[in-house]
Amino acid sequence: MGDLVRLALPLAIVAPVAAMVFVGLRVLLADGRPRETVVYRLVMSGLGVSVAASAVVLLRFLGVFGAPVAGEIEFGSWLRVHDFEMPLVLLVDRVSVTISLFAAVLTVLVGRFSRTYLHQDPGFIRFFVLLGFFATGTQLIALAGALELFFAGWEMVGIASAMFIGYFHERDEPVRSSVRAFATYRFSDAGLLIATVTTFELLGSARFSALERAGTLPVGEATIIALLFLLSAMGKSAQLPFSGWLPRAMEGPTPSSALFYGAVSIHAGLFLLLRVWPVLEVSIVARAAGVAVGLATAVYAAAVARVHTDAKGALAHATLAQVGLILAEICLGWITLALVHLVCHALLRLGQYLKAPNMIHDAHRLGHGPHAPALLERWSPRLAARLYAAALHRLRLDDKIDVTFAPVLGLARALDRTDAALRRVLSLDGPRA
Amino acid sequence: MAGHGHAHAPPADPIARALARAAGVLPDQGPIGVFVHHNTLHAYQHLPFHQAVQEGAAALGAEPYLTLPAFRAAWRDGRIADADLRIEIGRALGAGADEWVLGTLTRAEVWHTLTVTTADSDDAAGLAYTVHAGVARECEDLALWQACLARTARGPAFVPADTRRFRRHRDVIVALGGDDTDVAVHGELIRLGSGFLDHGHAHATLPGRDRGFLAAVSALYAGGAAAPRGCRGAEADMQAVVDSHADALGVLRAVLDRLGVTGDEVEPFVFATALALPGWAGMFSRLERHPHEHAGATPPTLAEFLAVRLLLERCAIERAAAAVGVPLAWADLRPLAPSPSPRPALLDASLLWWLARAGGFTAAEVTAWSDGELAALWAECAAATPLARRRVCHEAYERTYRRGILDAVAARRALPAEWSTDRPRAQFVFCIDEREESIRRAVEEQHLGYLTYGAAGFFGVAIDYQGLYDREPAAHCPVVVTPGHEVHEQPVYTELGWHTLRQRLRSRWLGWERAAAASSRTLSGGAGYSLLLGPVSAAVTIAQVLAPRAFAALTGRMTAAVAPRPATRLSALRAAAAAPESGAKPIGFSLDEAADRVAGVLKNIGLVRDFAPIVVFLGHGSTSLNNPHESAHDCGACGGRRGGANARLVADMANRPDVRAAVRQRGVAIPADTWFVGALHDTADDSVKYYDLEALPGGQAARFDEVALALDRARRESARERCRRFHDAPLDLTADAALAHVEQRSTLLAQPRPEYGHCTNAVCIVGRRATTRGLHLDRRAFLVSYDPTSDVDDAILERILAAVGPVGAGISLEYYFSSVDNETFGCGTKLPHNVTGLIGVMNGHQSDLRTGLPLQMVEIHEPMRLLLIVEATPAALLAVAGRQAEVAELVVNGWVQLVSLDPASGALQCFTGGGFVPYEAAPTLLPVVETSADWHMQSRAHLPPALVRRGLPDSVVGPGHHPVPAEVEVIHG
Repeated sequence: MGDLVRLALPLAIVAPVAAMVFVGLRVLLADGRPRETVVYRLVMSGLGVSVAASAVVLLRFLGVFGAPVAGEIEFGSWLRVHDFEMPLVLLVDRVSVTISLFAAVLTVLVGRFSRTYLHQDPGFIRFFVLLGFFATGTQLIALAGALELFFAGWEMVGIASAMFIGYFHERDEPVRSSVRAFATYRFSDAGLLIATVTTFELLGSARFSALERAGTLPVGEATIIALLFLLSAMGKSAQLPFSGWLPRAMEGPTPSSALFYGAVSIHAGLFLLLRVWPVLEVSIVARAAGVAVGLATAVYAAAVARVHTDAKGALAHATLAQVGLILAEICLGWITLALVHLVCHALLRLGQYLKAPNMIHDAHRLGHGPHAPALLERWSPRLAARLYAAALHRLRLDDKIDVTFAPVLGLARALDRTDAALRRVLSLDGPRA
Repeated sequence: MAGHGHAHAPPADPIARALARAAGVLPDQGPIGVFVHHNTLHAYQHLPFHQAVQEGAAALGAEPYLTLPAFRAAWRDGRIADADLRIEIGRALGAGADEWVLGTLTRAEVWHTLTVTTADSDDAAGLAYTVHAGVARECEDLALWQACLARTARGPAFVPADTRRFRRHRDVIVALGGDDTDVAVHGELIRLGSGFLDHGHAHATLPGRDRGFLAAVSALYAGGAAAPRGCRGAEADMQAVVDSHADALGVLRAVLDRLGVTGDEVEPFVFATALALPGWAGMFSRLERHPHEHAGATPPTLAEFLAVRLLLERCAIERAAAAVGVPLAWADLRPLAPSPSPRPALLDASLLWWLARAGGFTAAEVTAWSDGELAALWAECAAATPLARRRVCHEAYERTYRRGILDAVAARRALPAEWSTDRPRAQFVFCIDEREESIRRAVEEQHLGYLTYGAAGFFGVAIDYQGLYDREPAAHCPVVVTPGHEVHEQPVYTELGWHTLRQRLRSRWLGWERAAAASSRTLSGGAGYSLLLGPVSAAVTIAQVLAPRAFAALTGRMTAAVAPRPATRLSALRAAAAAPESGAKPIGFSLDEAADRVAGVLKNIGLVRDFAPIVVFLGHGSTSLNNPHESAHDCGACGGRRGGANARLVADMANRPDVRAAVRQRGVAIPADTWFVGALHDTADDSVKYYDLEALPGGQAARFDEVALALDRARRESARERCRRFHDAPLDLTADAALAHVEQRSTLLAQPRPEYGHCTNAVCIVGRRATTRGLHLDRRAFLVSYDPTSDVDDAILERILAAVGPVGAGISLEYYFSSVDNETFGCGTKLPHNVTGLIGVMNGHQSDLRTGLPLQMVEIHEPMRLLLIVEATPAALLAVAGRQAEVAELVVNGWVQLVSLDPASGALQCFTGGGFVPYEAAPTLLPVVETSADWHMQSRAHLPPALVRRGLPDSVVGPGHHPVPAEVEVIHG
């Protein structure tokens, strides 16, 4: 029955994006805007197939329908140039089957939620198309057996995330926030890309199985690769100093915020570190850096969550604090704890995000508790005020990043001006009436 | 609405004057937990409607009417009849309507063409593309198009009025390509402001908030906080404020000085600055006037908000101005505003083409026009401003609807007035709310002996009500009334023990839940709750999303089984001897007061004889989840709360023998075998909950069962009628399926439209139900019961109009403004809404506080002024208006359209231009259907009135009215 897995694995990955392609074809080829029900049914069947396939993989992994299946499953090559090969290889192990099913089920749940939530919204089709795109991305991340495939999934999730933040593109703020998140991803994803290439160069393959040989690398090289992975994870999981984009990501519709920043996408960086654990394991420096970043982020985010008055912003930082903790757990080597913490945390936050607009209703029901001033406020009001301001301003992280990248932006603006001037000269702009 | 002090003399200080003006224009919505519908431009109510909406909208940069494309769509759909549009154009132009502008092209024709076509489009790129692609309307007559192109190329050009506004430094700097200083300033202000106003969401509040906004913020920066990059330098100014102990006005003066804003410029500049972030500024201004709604010790003030704003803004402007290379002083900066970009000649050609088509001109004629002739045409186009044409469209929109309703009312009234003289089987008193119109019809269609009445939903008992588990009493009456009594819900004696235990368990449970919600956001708590409760929470979420009804039913059943709510009674009456403590309100009514209230409400609705054995009073409320605007669906006449307590109280008092005896002395004899029942109708899930049934005499059981069955059928039919408006409910669903559907809506977390609220309100009919019964009014009519024959001195009419006028107009106008400009007057789409500080919603992570109604509440609304039809003579109405200033203001200034329906003759007269003008109803054949559902379940669109045979005696519906064909598409749905 090994064939069942060979069918189910690609199905879990491809079904959502195939559904998305069908919706796209329907939009492009048939007249008129497709009805919501059609779009919903198409995408949900893709997501549903993905869940079913993922469940089959899990059952086979557990040994139902025959001997347990585990390890790499080969599907040939993606690309082959001389001795350079990008293998199409998927991995079945404890972590991959858990995360695959987990992400698939949550995506279906959010799909059902969004059917009602986005009813009659002008962006309904776009939302569901992106949901399918995202689902394929997460399945690739979960099931990839090599870094190249993983990277493809990673980028799909990143693009979907930026598009969801900019969902309400008729206003300025979501677009600004979307660009900020996208730029952060671009910057930190370079880490993953370079690490992938380096891994291939040093170990002869970018398969996760090859990473087991990381112990044979010189410590310096292993550390550099591990740090690059860490950089990438920090961007995706909004760790310091990249935390600025996360509150801004709350611009998207509530269900997408729940799925991305409560449940799945925010934890993707952690998942990357779990995947490349053999490299991380041998590099004490990278692990120490990870612990430091994780704990610093946890403290920072917890402080910000204390002062945020808006439901989604406070939740985003509460989530971030736990993600920081989990990062530290991973780097300390507590892999099982981290995995359990990650899954349980995602489950908790998904519901909290989806119920965020219920806050007024809850406040009516629950009433206010006595508000005891924190210890620090009694002990040193001055310091408490400083901390409050720092948290309220989120350490001015965005400003600091802007200052750092100001020269690059200046160059981009200059180029843009030149381009505009050239276009005017060549009169390529618009009709001249 | 204290504080909208247009009556006072304006202050001498220009800053104070600007602040006072701004306070009037800024949104007056309080913390969102209690949502009260009010006229969004209440501060302009002393002005005539059109002047007010235009001035108010201009101040806020909003739209005063629907946009021209929206009106064109309405015109195409027949919601504006072309005849009505031409009448209104004629009214706007007066005697000049038929003057010739060019050839035989009249002024009216120019206006009509500009209004119904896209002649005045300013989309040059779109036009160029469609012309190029050959799909533009202009391509229908290419010869004419070429002639227009050639003619406009020779000039003169059409120059529309420049509507751009440069009121602050930021406007000029942005126009010159500089950074938008509002991005940095608003981001900072929003965070600081929400920290200051927080009602208890954040763990930590703004340090020093009890000293006021300016003091707290300046101390924060003086203490070492960094200003954002865009406003760098503000720290030093803040330090200076701390050192000098300057007050807000002092700070404002100093900053204005440094910005070079002096003399006459001060007032408009401060006014514009106050309106730049209207939601937050409005909340500061609102809480300044209603300090008890603020959570902190020192109430916020608009002046302090603006002082902080300008301290930040000055630094931002300085940086941005330096970057663009322009001076800082306003007098030097203002003239640098760039002139408008020239209008592409293509647009002129298009304008000319449409007008030439309308006038029937040939290409040759167009080519031959002199410059003078063309200039005259352009002058007329300039006179027909978009604003003027929108005003005309708005009037036409109202006229079309008004004609339909008035003709229907006249036709219905012309039917023979035959009615049974048997004792009624049951009487139902609903709120006047237009959402109850459908359930009333559904009740009436079941039996001719079922009579329904409409009374403002607080049923004449203005109380501060404290339910069993409420922390404090809350006013259950229109916002303009201050209750004189408190009423408490108390457990009955035999349940006291259980109540105490349950109370304790409940508060412990809620405390735990509260702590869990808060501590799940902390570092350790988050970890703990994740590991302990993550999977459980996910299971609950999955159940709530996939099976919301079953989940709600299950939790409800479990609570009822494990910890049932104790039986309660209201403290309706107080012993005569029990004098209240000084200052405190009496708890419960005295016998006389109770009799006054009961007799009052019965007389108001004209229910003074022929009592049925069962009389049900139904208050209403609404339940929904994940809905920050939940309270906006509750009863407006109860101040945005649920009306169940009021219904229960009236029924309770009216059932007491001593009260009945006192009521009899007041001229209303309630028979001994009549029993009153209080109930609550939930307008979201269409449930009906009865109160105090344990007190119902056993002898009445059979009669009550019949009534309950009738209401049960009616709520299903009503649910079905509501479902036709929801695009995700099929049009062919059964009544039972409809009930399940609305129950699901009210329990589903993902539902942004649990109900459509007052979305369909349009008309208010004050009069005897007998004159409208059997008329299908499509849930669009507030129905107020009033019997002019028993109202000798117009005292009842005065009471009714004093309550219904402001409440009805408030709802209608709130919906009006939120519909015509949903982004400025309303709060836009709900989907990105983020509750902040428990006081309101923002878009996404930080935005202005969004006030007004969300898109999902107004999307099917037709924004018109309330059509108030009163069954009273013009003389009676004028007399009442003379005594009730607010009613007079609404009517005379045209905020409602008042129509008199003569009680004796049935003649209709509309109040226009200061007096009543007779309305000649066109003879109308109303469509006749057997049941309401036959009429409304065929389309999702707004429906014209129809006659429902089931609601009327057989003899009434004569042969003169044509039955509707089985398969008629009334208006495309």
